[in-house]
Amino acid sequence: MKKGLAILVSIICLALLAGSFTSVAAADKVRGVTDTEIIIGQWGPQTGPAALWGSVARGSGVYFDMINAEGGINGRKIKYVLRDDAYQPAKTKAIAKEFVEDIGVFGVACGVGTSPGMAVRDYLMENKVPWVGPATGSRHWTEPFQKYLFALYPRYADEAYLLTQYAVEKLNKKKIGFFYQNDDYGKEGMEGAKKYLDKKGIKLAAEVPVEVTDTDLKSHALKLKESGADAVIMWVLPKHAATILGQAKAAGFQPQWIASSTLSDAPLMHKLTKGLWEGVIYANFLDIDSPKVKKYLEAQKKFAPNEQNTGVFFLAGFMFVEPLVEGLRRAGKDLNPETFVKAMETIKNWNDWLGHDCTFTAQDHQGMRSIFLSKCGPEGKAEKIADWMTYKEGK
Amino acid sequence: MNFFFDLVIGGLSIGACYALVALAMVIIYKTSEVPNFAQGEMAMISTFIAFTLMSNYGAGFWTSAGITLLFALALGVVLEVAFLRPAKDPSILGLIVITLGAEMILYGLAGWKWGANQVPFPVPFSEYSGISPGGVMITEINIWTFVTSLVLMLLLFLFFRFTKLGVAMKAVQQNHFAAKAMGIPTRRVLSFTWGLSSVTGAVAGMLIAPISTLDPNMMLDPMMKGFAGAVLGGMTSLPGAALGGYLLGLIENFFGGYVSLEFKSVVAFGVIVLILCVKPSGLFVRHFERKV
Repeated sequence: MKKGLAILVSIICLALLAGSFTSVAAADKVRGVTDTEIIIGQWGPQTGPAALWGSVARGSGVYFDMINAEGGINGRKIKYVLRDDAYQPAKTKAIAKEFVEDIGVFGVACGVGTSPGMAVRDYLMENKVPWVGPATGSRHWTEPFQKYLFALYPRYADEAYLLTQYAVEKLNKKKIGFFYQNDDYGKEGMEGAKKYLDKKGIKLAAEVPVEVTDTDLKSHALKLKESGADAVIMWVLPKHAATILGQAKAAGFQPQWIASSTLSDAPLMHKLTKGLWEGVIYANFLDIDSPKVKKYLEAQKKFAPNEQNTGVFFLAGFMFVEPLVEGLRRAGKDLNPETFVKAMETIKNWNDWLGHDCTFTAQDHQGMRSIFLSKCGPEGKAEKIADWMTYKEGK
Repeated sequence: MNFFFDLVIGGLSIGACYALVALAMVIIYKTSEVPNFAQGEMAMISTFIAFTLMSNYGAGFWTSAGITLLFALALGVVLEVAFLRPAKDPSILGLIVITLGAEMILYGLAGWKWGANQVPFPVPFSEYSGISPGGVMITEINIWTFVTSLVLMLLLFLFFRFTKLGVAMKAVQQNHFAAKAMGIPTRRVLSFTWGLSSVTGAVAGMLIAPISTLDPNMMLDPMMKGFAGAVLGGMTSLPGAALGGYLLGLIENFFGGYVSLEFKSVVAFGVIVLILCVKPSGLFVRHFERKV
């Protein structure tokens, strides 16, 4: 009996020893990187209620195709793996597991949605998977600090701060109403607005929440009207933005509407609201007038000629991976998660992309804090009304 | 005071839509005791048909609406024949699950055919202007909603009261076997019930789409609210369900206006629970002993 136990213990020890040897051997080889390839994964809703934003992931695909056609990065080509999570965090989790354990990706790009992203953030970080540019402005990407996570989308709170500041200081609005989706997305926006107003000693004239499933917004519109707000900031879904504009107009309430960057696809919003979007001021994180846009759309004609949605969200798919590719370039031939993070942290005030002033430091991985403002003109044409403005902590 | 009357108008106009959905539910429930959970998706698909006719084929609104109602009738009949009829020895629970399955299929179909994008639904009357007696705005779409729903309810009432088919439907719902023995083609009547319910739902869909947007999710909320309204008024009574729909619209709007917008949507479900505890057969129905 005792002998049997001893044999068992020694077998286990041997097995453990062997295991540690193999893991030492694996450490030499970097997951997702070979001499000729770098594997990058992305999830994005290609089906389901959020499929509209699925074009982000397809945009990234075209950008990688373009980079590969130009010769790749330090002799390596990008192998891009796109998976559909239908905006369901449970599916995102399964995809992340597949990325790490089956496919073995080097890093992850973008990924639409705060809750899908939050479902896998800790898992990816534990496995040291570099993740660049989650396609939402939640603060959870950089608070608390995550070594392998680089956020690009300006934070909702910062964006709302800047929009409110603009409404009060430039538009001379006295009473600001806030119409928000009753979850993290909407609430983070409202926090930013309050942060600015608190400094000025002003209170929001109205805080009107909307649930994702709500259809009838008449009482919401009446509440906003009751408050007498002369400007209303919206942090909602396109559908609710369209509905509230109609209901408010029917109630005879027409304040200056101000919208978050999630509603920055002006032609689309103009169409959806049957023209009511004209005159709405909204934030942008992506420079649609950049000369790069033309080049990117040519690449789209070449690599994805069947793409239907080539608007802001499609281009955002390019924008969110531009710094990723820059980081891979700067990391050089010796590429692993550590050298990549170091390389990313050398990016300072970098402007060779569709965004503005990309900066990462060893303490702060929020790469972009700038927005510019546009006003929707006739036929949904965007008119720039304020150039890039940057949120600075403690200003 | 205008705030109050604005809420009344808002409540009545969304209530009219809830009432139509509630009616659509009750028409089927009365004949087969099955709450049809595919109701919302059936209405959504029909509304998309109207949209496609207008945007892709350049048809006028009224032509499209007419064709859509015919389509809705066919859709209801086909669903009954294809999904419910093949069920062998169906229990009520089994049939409910079938309607849930049909709901998912229709939802998936709409997502595949028209995508998840929201689209505007054009109507030939204004969503923003209309008449304003005493400063209370009643838009053209509000008026159309009131008129259409009332006319449709009147038609349904006349149909059940004075037509042979309507009376046959009532007979089937009261005693299936006796109706069959009396020579009423009960199966055909049941299919037609589905068609009629589907048409009522399609009208609701075409009235809801212009005040919101058209997308595969659009009927999710109105359908639950219509269901709640039907439970509130009484699942076995057409006028009861309609009144329940209106009442729910008003309750919701007053709750949103005076108490809390956060819980506005939850009120409907609170109402269901309350009614099921206090008066399970519904507010406007005499206590109803279950058929043995």
